[in-house]
Amino acid sequence: MIRTPQILHKQEWLAFLFHRHNVHLASFHTFSNYCRIWIISIAILAVTSLSPLVMATFINHRLIQQAVDAELVLQTERVTSNAKRSMRFFLEERLNALRFIVNELPYYALIDNEHLEEILGNLKLGFGGFTDLSIIDADGSQVAYAGPFNLEGKNYKTQPWFTRSIESDNFISEVFTGYRDVPHIIIAVRSINALGRLFILRATLDTQRLMDTLLSYKTNVHTDIFLMNHTGQLQTPSNTHGKIFTPTRLDIPKFSTTTNVIMPESERDHAFIIGYSYIITEAVTTPFILMVYKKKSGVMGTWLNLGRTFNWIIYISCLVMMIIITLVSTFMVNKLYLADKTKAETMMKMEQNQQLACIGQLSAGIAHEINNPLALINETAGYLKDLYHFADEHQNDQEIMEHLDDILEAVARCGTITSQLLGFVRQFDVQTSAVNVEKLITGILRFHKKETEYKGIHVTTDIAPDTPAIETDRGKLQQILLNLINNAFQAIEANGCLDITVSHLAPDQITIEIKDTGCGIPEENLKRIHEPFFSTKKEKMGTGLGLSITYGLVKKLQGNIRVESSEGVGTIFTVTLPVKMKKEDTA
Amino acid sequence: MKQIDILIIDDEVKFADMLSRRLSLRGITCRACYDGLSGIQWIKENPGAAVLILLDLKLPDLYGTQVLAHIKEIDPAVPVFIITGHGTREDEKACLDLGAVEFIHKPVSIEKITTLLTHARGEVQ
Repeated sequence: MIRTPQILHKQEWLAFLFHRHNVHLASFHTFSNYCRIWIISIAILAVTSLSPLVMATFINHRLIQQAVDAELVLQTERVTSNAKRSMRFFLEERLNALRFIVNELPYYALIDNEHLEEILGNLKLGFGGFTDLSIIDADGSQVAYAGPFNLEGKNYKTQPWFTRSIESDNFISEVFTGYRDVPHIIIAVRSINALGRLFILRATLDTQRLMDTLLSYKTNVHTDIFLMNHTGQLQTPSNTHGKIFTPTRLDIPKFSTTTNVIMPESERDHAFIIGYSYIITEAVTTPFILMVYKKKSGVMGTWLNLGRTFNWIIYISCLVMMIIITLVSTFMVNKLYLADKTKAETMMKMEQNQQLACIGQLSAGIAHEINNPLALINETAGYLKDLYHFADEHQNDQEIMEHLDDILEAVARCGTITSQLLGFVRQFDVQTSAVNVEKLITGILRFHKKETEYKGIHVTTDIAPDTPAIETDRGKLQQILLNLINNAFQAIEANGCLDITVSHLAPDQITIEIKDTGCGIPEENLKRIHEPFFSTKKEKMGTGLGLSITYGLVKKLQGNIRVESSEGVGTIFTVTLPVKMKKEDTA
Repeated sequence: MKQIDILIIDDEVKFADMLSRRLSLRGITCRACYDGLSGIQWIKENPGAAVLILLDLKLPDLYGTQVLAHIKEIDPAVPVFIITGHGTREDEKACLDLGAVEFIHKPVSIEKITTLLTHARGEVQ
């Protein structure tokens, strides 16, 4: 079999994407929509292979995230709790020192300025962080003062801290600037003098000491530790929220006596983890809330970077897998398509052959059954004619004679059809001998000599000089060529051309091309020309068996026949025959 | 023993009759047998009496090939033509192997038969 361009086309990569719907082949295809199969196969492969990977990555990511968060919470909690304890101790220690002083020393000793200076000196030595000391009586007027500012005789009656400190035994103020314009904290203890009057021992604490203590817990740049009051105003400077006394817009955390850690849900604070604690001394509730802000990305940067790298690896491997999946799917679907196409083509050919065989058997049966009555009609009509002819009675009755001749002619025509039908089924043994194709063609053309001259047909034969004598069945080849050349002559109008070319292109086969400039065959008929009884010739001209017999004969000679035609231009029949027939078929 | 031109062995009575009548009109003497056995019988009784024999394949008693074999046994020289409406390629091959001159499909023209006879006479003489 020669490799036609169509067969070459089949080898194409992605052939299924360019699949053209063919009505004749469609019913033999197992699948119809290859693009859909392709997409489904890619989708299934992608889902089954990528989803475990993606899920594992996701779970892993979540686990890392959770571990990181848990670790952060723990860290933050620890820092917050330690800082809180220090703060509480810092304030309690100083408050207790004051309490000790008022309980130990009599009132008159306290209101002595010199003595008070001495006490302040001792406090600074013993504890540090004290700026000044003063004794204030119940009316708010300062009785004694020790410190760097000359505040003697001042009245604090209108100051809010005074009203609050006179109401309770112990007092710790917020950070404020007061008269001195320096941030400071006031701590005060209340006591009663010998006259039964209330008085206050007030000390001003330097906020720097407090801040230093706080900052000592700041382990890295990603941590921010600060104090704020119960209204959200900063009491110490903060990296993230601004200078001292800046009102923050933070949600005031819920009151709790213990240390807490929260992870904010809001977008803005999402990057942080917040630890907080209300600072409560044993004696008094302070106005401070200790806040610890930890930046997640900063603290757990290594982990997050690792996660990011891991994600990149996953993305790239997903991409590689998708490419492989696509290539494999394309390859497999294409193979499937090609196999299906070959199968469909084979099945179509088989069905055509089977149809031919079926029609052949049927027509042979009919031919057999018709032959006998046909013979009877023939003889009876012949006898009638004879009767008239020999009896002299109606010898000159032209009409009767004509009718009888019509019957006999019709019978003869039927006889031709039935014998052709039988010839169509009958498969004689193939008898091979060396056949000279050129001589054969010349012989056949000689039959048509008269017609050629009469119609003015230009006949050319071009036989390649290296054409060998081929081993084939002479009778069958003769019939093939006779049929094709007859057809050509019938198609060619006056002054047409008939070109017969014999070439020897492949070493083991020869090609005979019979080209006419006849009326051509319409495209819709091209597929049917080998069907028995398919004829477009006018009444009485053809039986529709010629080409189907030719087709069968060519197959019998292990050859191939191909037809190309364009309407109005002409037709080319190409017969390819083996130079030497294979043995198994000749037997 | 009477000399005749053509012996027709065919079970289609009407066909055989018509053919023999038509041939008679042309001055050709015929004898029609409607089954194999009577045909063989006639040849046995009149060996060498027929110039040629027209034999059908489908006969009610014997198959054409069997009749042909018998004829060739009795009179190998007589030309036998098979005229049949049926006939497969196996039949054709078998008949030709058994010595039939030609395998002809029905319907056949009267001219063809007269030509055959002319040829047969020529060969005989």
